[in-house]
Amino acid sequence: MSNISKIQLINLTKTYPSPAGDVTALENIDLTIPDGSVFGIIGLSGAGKSTLVRCINLLERPTSGQVLIDGEDITKLPKKKLLRLRRNIGMIFQGFNLLEQRTVEANVRFPLELDRIPRDKANARVAELLEMVGLSDKAKSYPSQLSGGQKQRVAIARALATNPKYVLCDEATSALDPTTTESILGLIKDINKKLGVTVVVITHEMRVVESICTHVAVIDNSRIAEVGLVSEVFSFPQSEIAKQLIIPNLIRSLSGGEGTKLRLVFNGEGTDEPIISALAMECRVAANILYADTKNIDGKTFGHMVITVPEETTAKVKEFLDAHNVSYKEE
Amino acid sequence: MSTLFTQLWQNGGFWVGVGETLYMTVASALLAYVIGLPLGVILVITDSDGLTPVVWLNKILSILVNILRSIPFIILMVALIPFSRAILGTSIGNGAMILMLVVASAPYVARMVESSLKEVDKGIVEAARSMGANTFQIIWKVYLPEAKPSLIVGAVISTVTILGYSAMSGTIAGGGLGSIAVTQARPSNAQDVIWLCVALMVVIVQIIQEVGMFVARKVDKRRRTNKKIKQSKNNNSDSNGNAETTDDNGKNSANNAATI
Ligand SMILES: Nc1ncnc2c1ncn2[C@@H]1O[C@H](COP(=O)(O)OP(=O)(O)O)[C@@H](O)[C@H]1O
Ligand SMILES: [Mg+2]
Repeated sequence: MSNISKIQLINLTKTYPSPAGDVTALENIDLTIPDGSVFGIIGLSGAGKSTLVRCINLLERPTSGQVLIDGEDITKLPKKKLLRLRRNIGMIFQGFNLLEQRTVEANVRFPLELDRIPRDKANARVAELLEMVGLSDKAKSYPSQLSGGQKQRVAIARALATNPKYVLCDEATSALDPTTTESILGLIKDINKKLGVTVVVITHEMRVVESICTHVAVIDNSRIAEVGLVSEVFSFPQSEIAKQLIIPNLIRSLSGGEGTKLRLVFNGEGTDEPIISALAMECRVAANILYADTKNIDGKTFGHMVITVPEETTAKVKEFLDAHNVSYKEE
Repeated sequence: MSTLFTQLWQNGGFWVGVGETLYMTVASALLAYVIGLPLGVILVITDSDGLTPVVWLNKILSILVNILRSIPFIILMVALIPFSRAILGTSIGNGAMILMLVVASAPYVARMVESSLKEVDKGIVEAARSMGANTFQIIWKVYLPEAKPSLIVGAVISTVTILGYSAMSGTIAGGGLGSIAVTQARPSNAQDVIWLCVALMVVIVQIIQEVGMFVARKVDKRRRTNKKIKQSKNNNSDSNGNAETTDDNGKNSANNAATI
């Protein structure tokens, strides 16, 4: 094994007993979360995302299967060792879950108190963490005095207090407005980059995966439907559920009209010349743009575009697109 | 004015009554918490969705608590007379009264504690678990501190209830304002004595209530006024009076209004 440092779920199944029969939340999940990645897990509500992430630190015991952290099956760990291991896996939540009767600094100090770190050493660490999340001036405030974004920053500082190697985020930005979401996602990305923390991001929001994740797993009905690099899965989703989640509804329902419908995917690799006018000039094909959702980041184009071209020009157009390094798919 | 009233007024009997009532109430409440607080904690953590589910223990304790709580105090008191004799060698006096009050109120306190702890957000407990806190740490550092305001309110209600019980037990075991009103004043129909006892009880209850609620509000950090924030924000250029919203980075920006 080349690299043992990672989270691995092997044949994981979780059923909840209930009077009306067992509820299956996870079924035969196999997943490897590579070290250093920002791993997105996306799916509809009730798909099993929270159960999955809670199985990683055994807040929820899987019914069967293994959870390997750095190669060790933690479902077999004795209680004491499990508690110790959890210091190495930080977690942040949609509802922030701060201790309301503690100040911001006392919240961040909480995991250090659990570890019986001497007070002065702990306080120094707390100051450092608050500095990092930009809340040094709120040290003495109580959570009820903070905005949602600030609360999540405190929660992040708290999750990082014990220098964990992994951080799990369960819908960490779902309760936040778009601007605040962006700043929290930026912070999470920073943590991954600067501290080398592997991050697992649970979300039902596309844009979260899009903006920070390197890898993504799509979960549907308790099973993994699709998994891979974000650039691949987002460009060409294979499973029905991934298509549903990733390709805007608009595109899929666009009535084609005449001709061949092509979905062009820009993932920053193609040319940045205006492709449609080039198509008109070089191939003398007038493409009809049905839908376009592209954005320009650092001079590179990302996003989707759906065009129709006359049936008989299809081959020519495809050739042109290949030559210009534009990925596409016939719809 | 009745002769009893004059007599009690002159020999300080009323104050002795007040003192005895307070002593019995406070002593009983403290002892009831010594038993009821751990019992309440055990009820919460051994519950089927608690930290360390022990269903059979939870059931047994729960039934025991319910049985004790469903016996009317006046009957429980009488039933406890032999028990008191066996333990304290007597069934009258302050000691016997405190014993009866503790037996009657500890289960009540346990339920109060239980309901206070169950108000603590499950998410906070889960966060503590995710940080590797053990059961003892979660009780000590999460449940009790987070429930503190609610526990204080519960203690106020319990204490007032015990105060009421103490008046009742006074009639059997002697002592306190209840005993003055019922065993001394009633036979001679000294209405003025009875009413002064009532008034004194009302004053005591009021004081306990007001002080307790003040403390509960004082320790609760959840719904503070934003006065402090307002003051510390004065050096900010934010002049739209929107004191509640600070930007994530503590700077002013266009998204101020949108910040949750
Ligand atoms: N504690 C529980 N008891 C019973 N069923 C549960 C419990 N937690 C989750 N479930 C069920 O498991 C399924 C997956 O839930 P969850 O993991 O929370 O989904 P998601 O986070 O993707 O919305 C749902 O059908 C949910 O009702
Ligand atoms: Mg969920």
